[in-house]
Amino acid sequence: MTINLHTNENPYIPGNDIQKAAQKGLGKINRYSELKDLIELKELLGKYNNVPIDRIVLSHGSDLLIREIINIFSKDRKIIMVSPSFFPVAKYALNQARKLTRIQISTPDFKLDPYLLLNELNEPTLLIIDNPNNPTGKILMDDSLAEKILQNKNTLLLADEAYYEFSGQTFASMITKYSNLAITRTMDKAFSLAGLRLGYLLMGDYYKEHFSNFPTNLSTPTLFAAIEALKKPEYMTANVDKILNEKIRVEKELLKTGIEVFSGSTNFILIKSKNSDFARKLMDSGILIKDLSDEWLGGFYRISIGLPDENDALLSIINNN
Amino acid sequence: MKKTGLIVNPIAGMGGSVGLKGTDGEIYKKSIELGAKPTTPQRIEETLNLVNRKDLYFFVAPGKMGEDYIRKFDFEYEVVSKINEETNADDTKRIIRDMLEKGIELLIFVGGDGTARDVYDILGLTIPVVGIPSGVKMFSPVFALSTFSAAEIINNETELLIEKEVLDIDEDAFRKGKLAAKLYGYLKVPKNLSLLQGKKEPSNVTKPEKISKEEIAQYIFENLEKDTLYILGPGTTLATIAEKMGVEKTLLGIDAIFKGQLIGTDLNEKGLLGLIKKYDKIKIIVTPIGGNGFIFGRASKQFTPEVLKLIGKENIVVVATEDKTSRLECLRVDTGDAETDNNLKGHCKVITGYKTETIIEVK
Repeated sequence: MTINLHTNENPYIPGNDIQKAAQKGLGKINRYSELKDLIELKELLGKYNNVPIDRIVLSHGSDLLIREIINIFSKDRKIIMVSPSFFPVAKYALNQARKLTRIQISTPDFKLDPYLLLNELNEPTLLIIDNPNNPTGKILMDDSLAEKILQNKNTLLLADEAYYEFSGQTFASMITKYSNLAITRTMDKAFSLAGLRLGYLLMGDYYKEHFSNFPTNLSTPTLFAAIEALKKPEYMTANVDKILNEKIRVEKELLKTGIEVFSGSTNFILIKSKNSDFARKLMDSGILIKDLSDEWLGGFYRISIGLPDENDALLSIINNN
Repeated sequence: MKKTGLIVNPIAGMGGSVGLKGTDGEIYKKSIELGAKPTTPQRIEETLNLVNRKDLYFFVAPGKMGEDYIRKFDFEYEVVSKINEETNADDTKRIIRDMLEKGIELLIFVGGDGTARDVYDILGLTIPVVGIPSGVKMFSPVFALSTFSAAEIINNETELLIEKEVLDIDEDAFRKGKLAAKLYGYLKVPKNLSLLQGKKEPSNVTKPEKISKEEIAQYIFENLEKDTLYILGPGTTLATIAEKMGVEKTLLGIDAIFKGQLIGTDLNEKGLLGLIKKYDKIKIIVTPIGGNGFIFGRASKQFTPEVLKLIGKENIVVVATEDKTSRLECLRVDTGDAETDNNLKGHCKVITGYKTETIIEVK
């Protein structure tokens, strides 16, 4: 059996209540989602994030929201992103943007130089940042840097907080204060709903006009499961705790093998191995991890935290090689 | 005491400042005629100055192949073998063979890819080596990144050894514009991966990469400044830019273009200094070496510290495809002059495509 540790999913399947809610949605798949259910989900998300519901946009996956923001708000702006990161940039968005600037973060600490970033905000800019960053797991921006950026009215900040529940770092409390702030979130990771793809946007005033008529196309299984999940989020926090504890254990064990571990704030670990066959050997044993050398630096791998016995299997193979 | 061999290729690196690609064979004489000066003495002395181990007993090659430098320091040593006024690869091989007979456990050598090949011919995978880079072509990952790194590896030497590739290119093919790295073998080096030079991968021109280079060329072309002399370094990305500017440049040489006309090809330091005096506005365009990220100090030694000082950091444009850039931990410089290197360090914008750039650290 294959063990998937390459896509940063949550290894814990949600409880029966949530699965039953999704099944209830299946019983209604000949119908479009009802407005009252969509409003209920927004209210629950509003309560969960302490954000008014008119600042929330729902979508199947946050990638669509990020694409939409790039496509709409990049016109005549400079787009700034961090490298490495895995955001989609549509070619025509680049055609209408003034330019695309990537700021590379590098070993050993993968820090984003705040002065370098602030110096780049000298023209209308759309700054897109994943916080924490994928694949390094590092929190690149704290509240203080975010506020400095947001005080520059020429800059739009889009922070992707896909791993918020693991990192605890969010700018959600600034959403009513700064019109130029937008945040994307997902229930794929901490809430264990990757297969249902529920993403959402928290937005400042500047974005509201465009998104006022954004079509909300959620499937009924997604909608009902998300509502149920948010009614009892305790399962999510318990799973996040379990994953973070496992992460500490796996990191310690990996360090013992001489592998370089870059500690982060997510449900995955970035490592560097001097063994060029590292991912291949694990794959031969049925364990999939993300080999980053295809698109980034040679020797770097990203490993998602799995169930304890899956992590044991991983460590056992590494120890025996 | 640890028996340690030390051998220096006194002519490695001499071809660089006069625009010759390597000093193998007869090319050495040509580089002397063109006024080349040895660079290896400085390299080995910088390294030895930083070596703080007291347990090394050196077996050194005679005269300019080792003895001349080590005698300035406080190491215990004895001289192995003899040499004539002119030295060549056969001397290197013969002396290393003699050192092996003396029982050396580690060999420190200074040179380039050609020297690494000579070392490999004799040592193979028998004893570990520390390579101090001083050549023109620096493809082989066996070399430490700098003299400082080499000293650090010697000082912190571990028993853990790794095998690193000895790569070289056919110098005749290189001078004719063909870039083909060949694997010649492996040498053992003390395990200290973070300090070793990344394997320099000749970029294969696949369709997407070709398109990326064309996009870079288009962007550069649209932003050309009037009345400016453009000096283009080696590489296929630069050749694509030259093509867009309407001229055909040498693949591995440094060429100069002014108002769409090729006014200098395969320029050496002297040629570059001549042009710098003549033109008011000058820009250099270069691309880093894939894998290790060097922009100055490896493939294009004609850009000497003096040339770079006169051009100024603000007039250096770096280009590289996104694919190449994303695989670099940083850009690197090693011009041989600390002040010039320090001036070039910091952050640099690399043009990676049409209207696309990456800000990356120069170390």
